[in-house]
Amino acid sequence: MKKAFLVMVLVALLATTTLFAAGQQEAAKPKVTVFWALYDGLTEEYRQNLQDAFMKEYPNIELDIVPIPWDQVYDKLTTSLAGGNPPELSVIGTRWILELLALDAVEPVDKWVSKTTLDNIFDGTKEAFINGQLWGLPVAAGARILAINNTLTKKVPATMEEMRTEALRIKNATGKYGLIMPGKKHTELTDFAYYLYSAGGDFFEINADGSYGKCIINNAAGVKALTYMVDVANKDKSVPAGYLSQTRMESHPVFYAGDAGYVMIGAWVDSALKQAGASFDVTYAQIPPFAGAKPAPLVITDSIAIFSGAKNKKEAGLFLDFFYRDEWKAKFDELIGFPPVTKSAATLPQFQSPLYQALNEAAAVAKPWPLIEGFAEMSDVIWDAVSMAYLGQKTPKQALDDAAKQVDAIKATYE
Amino acid sequence: MKKLTYRNRYKIPVVLLTLALLFVMLFPFFVMLSTMFKGSTEIYVRPPYWIPKTFAFGNFVKVWSEYHLFGYFMNSLLVGLGTTALNSIIIIPAAYAIARFRFRGRSFALYSLLAMQMFSPVIIIISLFRIYVKLNLLDKLGGLILANTVITLSFTTWLMFGYFASIPKEIEDAARIDGCTRMGTLTRIMIPIAAPGLVTAMIYTFIQAWNDFLFPLSFINAQKKMPLTLGIYQFVGRWSTQWEMLNVAAFIALIPVLVLFFIIEKQLVAGLAGGAVKG
Amino acid sequence: MKHLPTHRLTADAKMAYALIAPAALFIAVFMLYPVFYVIMMSLFKTNKLGILQQWVWFDNFTRLMKDPVFWQVTGRSLLWTAIAVIVKTVVGMIIALCLNVEFAGRKFARMLFIIPWASSVPISAMLWKWVYDHEFGLLNHTLTLLGISNPPVWLGMPTWSFVACIWVDIWIGIPFMALVFLAGMQSVSRDLYESAEVDGVNAPQKFFFITIPCIKQIVFIATLLSSLWTFNDFNTIYILTRGGPAGATDILITSIYKNGFEWLRFSDAAVMAVVTFIILMVFALVYARTYFRGGDDAL
Repeated sequence: MKKAFLVMVLVALLATTTLFAAGQQEAAKPKVTVFWALYDGLTEEYRQNLQDAFMKEYPNIELDIVPIPWDQVYDKLTTSLAGGNPPELSVIGTRWILELLALDAVEPVDKWVSKTTLDNIFDGTKEAFINGQLWGLPVAAGARILAINNTLTKKVPATMEEMRTEALRIKNATGKYGLIMPGKKHTELTDFAYYLYSAGGDFFEINADGSYGKCIINNAAGVKALTYMVDVANKDKSVPAGYLSQTRMESHPVFYAGDAGYVMIGAWVDSALKQAGASFDVTYAQIPPFAGAKPAPLVITDSIAIFSGAKNKKEAGLFLDFFYRDEWKAKFDELIGFPPVTKSAATLPQFQSPLYQALNEAAAVAKPWPLIEGFAEMSDVIWDAVSMAYLGQKTPKQALDDAAKQVDAIKATYE
Repeated sequence: MKKLTYRNRYKIPVVLLTLALLFVMLFPFFVMLSTMFKGSTEIYVRPPYWIPKTFAFGNFVKVWSEYHLFGYFMNSLLVGLGTTALNSIIIIPAAYAIARFRFRGRSFALYSLLAMQMFSPVIIIISLFRIYVKLNLLDKLGGLILANTVITLSFTTWLMFGYFASIPKEIEDAARIDGCTRMGTLTRIMIPIAAPGLVTAMIYTFIQAWNDFLFPLSFINAQKKMPLTLGIYQFVGRWSTQWEMLNVAAFIALIPVLVLFFIIEKQLVAGLAGGAVKG
Repeated sequence: MKHLPTHRLTADAKMAYALIAPAALFIAVFMLYPVFYVIMMSLFKTNKLGILQQWVWFDNFTRLMKDPVFWQVTGRSLLWTAIAVIVKTVVGMIIALCLNVEFAGRKFARMLFIIPWASSVPISAMLWKWVYDHEFGLLNHTLTLLGISNPPVWLGMPTWSFVACIWVDIWIGIPFMALVFLAGMQSVSRDLYESAEVDGVNAPQKFFFITIPCIKQIVFIATLLSSLWTFNDFNTIYILTRGGPAGATDILITSIYKNGFEWLRFSDAAVMAVVTFIILMVFALVYARTYFRGGDDAL
């Protein structure tokens, strides 16, 4: 009987050790893992070529560029951080950086990246510059613009109010939709931010010392913005009928299909239209402010950060130097359709089109996300408030009042 | 005669009802068949239509050559088979012991098996991740095999226990009188008799591993190690989803499992019922 | 498992422990330790990486108990499970009854019913997302063609989202139920039915007085397992709605994920996990006791 016991224990041990042994191999070369967010337009071919080219130049480094859909990047990053095994590099929404800083999870990139690379990047795009150090290289930085389907309308609206009128006209005249309005929560709060900023509103008041104060989304500007959204959607009904079931990504194809007059969108619109085989003319213009407010389009930067818990930071720096050469980075910008962040690429001919002119104009007055800890949770709360207003469960004022209170409570837990 | 009229009276409504139910249950697959033959510019068209205009057979070539579908497929298969093998090795002795031996903690063991159905991967994943970092199991198919084995262990042991318990003791006793050892009776008598149950347990395990999404989402980085459930996500971009490719991939992923199911369908059904009845 | 002093262990018991050892080892390391850690997290203040920092007794619990959202989510989990399991059982039973009647093509129909089960759950959920799409999806288009002029925005309105999600969960679970019930029905002796027919018993009576009692045990086990699986169904909701709109499809398991991995509130997530254990444990015990009281001495 003792024998049987021993045999069973041995089997168990054997099974586990073989599994682990299978895990132990490789690891001879330093390995750089990159969480590579999947921008639309970014081809698999490009990813593969970049990976191969780098490994050819640095044969003793193993590079693994991991393609991850945008909606999963944050979750995957938190799992790997909580598990104590972050990647060397990850593309991140720059607004996550404070969270990561609070966790001591990121390294200053200027420590690992060459001066040539750093100097070549526009200072204006270095949003991750906090406390005197740069915590991530800007990988894609773009202000949002308004794209107009010329088949449906030629009107370039000067104000939000004008856009609403024209959107309604388009709907009544053509039976198509006036304006794209994503109504389903997704990881970013872009859609509310467009209107909030255009109404002259903001997420937080700014204290004298530059820190964030109370949440002010429920002030007059905020309520005006949300009321506008709800009215366009539910009173005019000039937005897609299924807008409540569409995240940003799911709503834009309606525009690509030629079925909507206006969409507030980013630089990728050009490549996306091409990919969809769209045959109509498009004008690019600025997101209009509400009457009496100043234009303030949202600008979003994504960064690429080095993680302090990773093993091969030096090699990660080498990869960044390699990736930021024109040969690769300009191609990347072109594929995803973002204006270049590097000085050398900005002068290239492919970045001089009307789209890029509109983007540059927008960038001059654009406004970024607040850089505040816990913003993932806060934007979730605000998104829910927007949904409740759409659904008529709360008035815009009520919804924003409640959300502001919750946001303040979340903010308090970080202080 | 009476019997026949009985059957006949119900036959037509039953067939109609079956067809209606089939239509409802297979609806997404009809959509899949329609979508997968559409060209990339036929996806986002309003109003949509059922019959593709072009029949883009190129989608199949593209999904195979450009999107590494074969690699994902093999990974899923390896994880599925690996999990099934490891699971079987572990559960057979355990289930046999619980079914045939009286020992202290036996009912505790049985209740634990039931209780363990309650622990979802979502709940254990953080700790599992930490263990995996220590054991260097991240980014390894072995890690997925292990995780899936743990998740499937309790149900399959329960199932096999039901099977072993249902085999009359006399059969085993007879064999032992003939000089068979306990291990001998297990391998030569019990396992063959309980084969349908074992097949069911194996299929169940395979399906669980094949369906697994959360473990690879958290544990796998390298594209070379991704299973289908994760690989299919590459058709979901940040700005739009390539539904035609996703549907092609879904179709290809479905075929082998379906063939497997059709082959062992009879045994599978009998096994599920058998294990449950006796359990 | 309590070990008795070795000399009192019978040979049988020793052998039994040996045979169970590998399974027990696996479970202890990869299941019980993680579960133990979750319980610890629910009693500790944790940082954003889920590291235990300070023992706070039941503070996390009391804080969450005061949150109305927590109660809504818990209630919704129960509703979700109840509806899904009942519909799965009823539809599964209907399909099994249909397939238990002999008609040409019966075998083929049985194979077709397996298809949803053979498709991987996350992939199925993706397919359904496409089916439900309001602008480009074929479901609403077909409904419109059939004369329903204003089909619901499936994944947009709160109630319809809940219906849409629960239907996908049900749809995934039906084949398992149907096949298990069918197998049960086919193991019922033909003689019983035939003698009943001689006595002039009609079909509903046959179903309620012969079929149901004969497959009672199968139904018990299948519904129990289905309840546990349905309560913890994460993939469907995560892929279809992520709990939206405005939390209308958020159940405990998705809320755990959201709190843990998106908001990095690991203690809150752990508390919900513990609540999940408790609910399921109580349910399973009550259910199992009721079942085994009438049954054999298996437990």
